[in-house]
Amino acid sequence: MSNDVIFAPLKFRNLTVKNRLFRSNVSGRFDNYDGSGTQARINWEESFARGGVGAIVSSYVPVHIRGRILPNYAMVDNDDKIPFWRAVGEAVHRHDCKFIMQLSHSGRQRDNPGVENFRQKGLSSTNKKDSFHGLLCEAMSVQQIKETVRHFAEGARRAREAGLDGVELHASHGYLITQFLSSAINDRKDEYGGALRNRSAFLLEIIQAIRKEVGSDFHLQAKLNAVDFGNALYPWEKKGNTLDEGIQVAKWAEEAGVDAIHVSIGSIFPHPLLPPGGLPVDEFNWWYGAIISSGVRGYMNYTVCHFKLLRPILDFLWNRTKKSHPVEAVSSEYCREVKKNVGVPIINTGGYQDGKVIRRVISEGITDAVSIARPLIANRDLAHVLQSGRDLPAKPCTFCNRCLLNAPANPLGCYDVRRFNGDHDAMIAEIMQVYSPSQFSEQHVSVAGSSKE
Amino acid sequence: MTMPEEDSIRTGEGNLTDYVYLSPVDQYQQHFRRWLLLIVLLFLALFVTAALYYFMSDRTRYYSDILEHFKYGSIGSEPGGTIFTQVGGVLPPYLVFKTLPALCPDKLPGGYASLGLVFEPGHELPIGVSRRWRLGVEQVGLNCAVCHTGTVRQSADSKPQIVLGMPAHQFDLERFFRFVADASLDDRVTAESVIAKAEEMGDRVSIVQRLILRFFLMQRLKLVTVSLQNRIGPLLNGPLPDWGRGRVDTFNPYKAVQFNWNLKLLPHDELIGASDFPSLWNQKPREGMHLHWDGNNTSVDERNLSASLGAGVTPVTADHASLQRVHDWIWTLPPPKYPFAIDQSRTARGKDIFAQQCAECHSFDGRKTGTVEDIASINTDPYRLNSYTYALTGNQSELYPDSPYRFTHFVKTNGYANQPLDGIWARAPYLHNGSVPTLLDLLSDPADRPKQFVRGYDVYNQQKVGFVYDTPQARQEGFWYDTTTPGNGNGGHLFGTKLPLDQKLDLIEFMKTL
Repeated sequence: MSNDVIFAPLKFRNLTVKNRLFRSNVSGRFDNYDGSGTQARINWEESFARGGVGAIVSSYVPVHIRGRILPNYAMVDNDDKIPFWRAVGEAVHRHDCKFIMQLSHSGRQRDNPGVENFRQKGLSSTNKKDSFHGLLCEAMSVQQIKETVRHFAEGARRAREAGLDGVELHASHGYLITQFLSSAINDRKDEYGGALRNRSAFLLEIIQAIRKEVGSDFHLQAKLNAVDFGNALYPWEKKGNTLDEGIQVAKWAEEAGVDAIHVSIGSIFPHPLLPPGGLPVDEFNWWYGAIISSGVRGYMNYTVCHFKLLRPILDFLWNRTKKSHPVEAVSSEYCREVKKNVGVPIINTGGYQDGKVIRRVISEGITDAVSIARPLIANRDLAHVLQSGRDLPAKPCTFCNRCLLNAPANPLGCYDVRRFNGDHDAMIAEIMQVYSPSQFSEQHVSVAGSSKE
Repeated sequence: MTMPEEDSIRTGEGNLTDYVYLSPVDQYQQHFRRWLLLIVLLFLALFVTAALYYFMSDRTRYYSDILEHFKYGSIGSEPGGTIFTQVGGVLPPYLVFKTLPALCPDKLPGGYASLGLVFEPGHELPIGVSRRWRLGVEQVGLNCAVCHTGTVRQSADSKPQIVLGMPAHQFDLERFFRFVADASLDDRVTAESVIAKAEEMGDRVSIVQRLILRFFLMQRLKLVTVSLQNRIGPLLNGPLPDWGRGRVDTFNPYKAVQFNWNLKLLPHDELIGASDFPSLWNQKPREGMHLHWDGNNTSVDERNLSASLGAGVTPVTADHASLQRVHDWIWTLPPPKYPFAIDQSRTARGKDIFAQQCAECHSFDGRKTGTVEDIASINTDPYRLNSYTYALTGNQSELYPDSPYRFTHFVKTNGYANQPLDGIWARAPYLHNGSVPTLLDLLSDPADRPKQFVRGYDVYNQQKVGFVYDTPQARQEGFWYDTTTPGNGNGGHLFGTKLPLDQKLDLIEFMKTL
């Protein structure tokens, strides 16, 4: 399929990616507690590069310890992290794959803040806790805002120094930048709150600071919500930003100097619409305990999920908005509108796996590329499968979201045992492959040795 | 960051209780729990207050019109006390009382009206039955009017005239009690059937009322009824003569209900004590006279309060203010005027005969009026006299201790009191036990007085002065009274029996005017 739009190179201002398949940012607790990287992270990222995607958007990389979602995520909060990220980049580059670091700050949305943050509330635009887990927060002072902007810029610098191919600002899914952008969350009365322009100031200042720090020839993209759907879970919550507002933010981001927009939806994470698919209550029941004490609604959520009699409440709340959206290409129709209004290339995420769907959204001009996480966790070689002319792997991702619900507690991987014909051991064996080679294995020494040549 | 007090920090011992500081989530939840506790306590307090109000409030409708008050106002005879220990009352709660005849139609085919209870248009309960909110439910009770409201008809097809204060000669109190007790214990009477029937009859039954009925009230009603039956069963269901319409055994139920006497241990004859309901009017001139048929009390107030006990009032449930209103009204209530034509020429002659033959004992200013006539002298039926005993007198003096209502006037007598004859036309049948149907019969020699007759039929016999007692229609509606039954004897009181018929007619014509 030489004319396959999926495998046409995508040229950004400062970066060319060999195909239209991006590994979307997805983390896994593979690193050291203190945020230093491990061989497992390198193995993890390299496995996707080996599978044929054009570019990898990194794991969620906190620019500051206070902005970490979960412990064991590699950070970029200090220059001492540069060598690790360089190693990651090099591993990925060996497979003709680009590596874009996602610069992130959780704000209040810390699923497990870790012992370092145990005695602090999360930073946010607001003092109001998040609606899902009840994660507590305090509104940032202007000085804290300026410092955080600086942390992003320094993170970008470190990424560039590590030889990575670009950075992405995580400005969607309810993390710190969304907390400023969203009218449902941001209740500030100062220059960072109120009108959309004010709410966007934090994002735009970060873009400008990064540009100032790394210049205009380093790839910078922003992951933005087209629509917030702030009331998708609880109908009494505010809706947040509309599509028009999402488009406006994208336009301002473009003006400020981003090279691409990564379009998503949802003002919390997880969100009923994103990642699209199921909410397996068994997994919720088994693993939510890992983060149950992080917020003030954890025990309530757990109770609702734990008792079968109460589950219809969760079922109703979680599924009521989903009914009006497809699982595959869940945000594509919003993305189409964003793309119409901006000039830079667009990447869209949410439920992409099927070659036919991916070809359609690219051909119809809905997006220039798609980013994929769960189907690639299930089938690292999805790109090769699509390139071979098949639209789906033999055992495709079911969008069950078991990977998502295991993530806070267990190694990230595909936990849909149906894909392993019910063989639990086989499933675990595949998940554990991320630890191989280990830092001290002979295989690794040779690989690591060669990488240093 | 809140640090706990130093003395609450414990380390090295009790690993389960060690803590050093609170996380923001801990602080929030602690704060939240405090608020939650406060809110829960507030709600609890509100709930308890509401529950207390619901179950402990005692309220009844106030009728500003004294006539309405007399007919429907509560004197406190509804069950009271606490929800745990019910005191007083002889009737089931409103919804049950109202639905009993419909739920057990075989036990009372004609409904309450067939027992002689008087219904007025616009009222779902009969005269003499009051409503009062007590113990968390709408209760019903009896008031003075139930035994002191009579009806009179000129003929079988005329409309009954309701006369307040008149003896309820048409009302069968004993059958009423029997029915209420039997039906209350009937298996068909359940919370579900009562609710369904009440709703069918247009009542709206709240959820709380349903719950109270379903889980509490019906069981208690059955127990209370069984308990009441155990006490007064020998009177209602034993081998004693029926009271019949217009009569009540005043003191025997009193012994059982108020003093918990075991009636089975009393002599059989003492349990026969039925006598006529008296009239209520003109109480002021009666103060100081020997009241009750046997003249056992000379205080109108004590007599009133004592009578209310028979309606279910107890010392702790009595509504003294309400009773006082009735007292004030009957204090000066005039007797009802004779509603038919009077022959004035006979009246004039009869007045003189009355002065000669009757006034000494029966006019307000009579020398012996209000005094007790020895049984040997008057020689009327002695059962009523003997049903009131010295022992009961002693017990009565223990009621209302340390209060202004304490009984101090009850005495045991040995005869029957001479009554003033105001409104005597409306007080038929005559003698204390109602054993003589008309005044004319009373002026006959006992041997000539009717041996059996009907009482409780309200068509008036203007010639004989009393109620019609011998027509087929009367037999259908009334109570067949047999003077040979113990307690029903029609002997004695021979005054005027020797007068010529013409003079007797003159006399009774005059007595219509009293």
